[in-house]
Amino acid sequence: MDFIGAYSIPNLTFILKGFLITLEVAFISIILSFLLGTLLGTLRYTRIPVVARLTAIVVDIIRNLPLLLIIFFMKIVLPQIGISMSPFWSTVVGLTLFEGAMISEIVRSGLNSIDKGQIEASRSSGLSYMQTFWNIILPQGLRRMSPPMVSQFISLLKDTSLAIIISLPEIMHNVQILGGQNFNYIIPALILAAALYFIVNYTLSIIARRLESKMH
Amino acid sequence: MIQFKKVNKYFGPFHVLKNIDLQIQEGEVVVIIGPSGSGKSTLLRCINRLETISDGELTVNETPLHDKKVNINQFRRDIGIVFQHFNLYPHKKVIDNIILAPMKVQRLKKEDAKKTAMYYLKRVGIEEKADNFPSQLSGGQQQRVAIARGLVMNPKIMLFDEPTSALDPEMIGEVLDVIRSLAHNGMTMVIVTHEMGFAREVADRVVFMDEGQILEVATSSDFFESPREDRARLFLSRLINH
Repeated sequence: MDFIGAYSIPNLTFILKGFLITLEVAFISIILSFLLGTLLGTLRYTRIPVVARLTAIVVDIIRNLPLLLIIFFMKIVLPQIGISMSPFWSTVVGLTLFEGAMISEIVRSGLNSIDKGQIEASRSSGLSYMQTFWNIILPQGLRRMSPPMVSQFISLLKDTSLAIIISLPEIMHNVQILGGQNFNYIIPALILAAALYFIVNYTLSIIARRLESKMH
Repeated sequence: MIQFKKVNKYFGPFHVLKNIDLQIQEGEVVVIIGPSGSGKSTLLRCINRLETISDGELTVNETPLHDKKVNINQFRRDIGIVFQHFNLYPHKKVIDNIILAPMKVQRLKKEDAKKTAMYYLKRVGIEEKADNFPSQLSGGQQQRVAIARGLVMNPKIMLFDEPTSALDPEMIGEVLDVIRSLAHNGMTMVIVTHEMGFAREVADRVVFMDEGQILEVATSSDFFESPREDRARLFLSRLINH
């Protein structure tokens, strides 16, 4: 183990650059998967005949595949049909699809948890379905879904490391390269990576806990 | 004002309303009583089309509800409903519970809606709770807010679906007092309740239902003093002797 050599300025910069990529991929994917998940979850909740059924099928397919396979698919299968993306965007699209499907289930159950009596009360006073959705169902649903949503974002951040298989230069990828250069660097590099993941994710989980206690 | 003509309603294989014929006049207070599962609540909920009827004709405020083309949101403005479990919006303050429909449906300005809302909160006796959340109120207070929320739209008809069944006994009185004062002011009301003393006092007419049928319709005094139907007699004696 060579901590001093492993933590030389160029090596640290290399690992931190990797972590920056990790954070960028995670940040963009969190926003996109939130949007996609909310859209899919809402479509499924509304029970519009064909759309809801179709959404359910797509979501179930994605949810039951390993994320690793989806990322592979983005990088290897899509170029065969003329859609070619950089490792960065392949990862973002793969993560967005996978986590979006997960989030859609959180959204759907959050919306479903709103008491039907309130919906009846709102509709009875003359509000349309859409008005009821915006004023009664969605605000309460969002509040209820935020804790599981944040946990999902934490998994998303950790799952970015799977992009190592398509050579995205994120943190785990760079740790591996350092370890390849000098085997004495691998443990110090892993410890640093662990610390970085932990700090960011733990901060997120504290936020999640705050949200939860605020609701009760 | 409300007219059921040979109305039937099925929930899947269950025939929950059987050949209902009933007319309710403007200004009338009609109380529906009967054992649990007799179809009272379903009948009431058909009046603002929370339940759709399977066949027959139902006309409310000159709107034929059996007609699928009815603009239901427009129609429902004129009918207030109060539920057993209050169904207040827990994420909104009392005042915001009340002004939601006036603002979204009648397109009132917020200040105007608030003024009207405060008037009705005063009327149900809890104007000091306007800025509280529903969870900070007792059951009786919550139900009075729900009544104010119904009244604020200035409805032609008020429906009450077992408004005191979820309340602790000591809170039933305050809610019944509010409903009683509405009755004295000439509001058309249909009330499903198990409070027989209240029914007797407030009802112009009593509808007795059992197993999806209307078995007896009579003025309050006739019904409670000399019910014609055996099942009505049995029902009343059980309630009184328990």
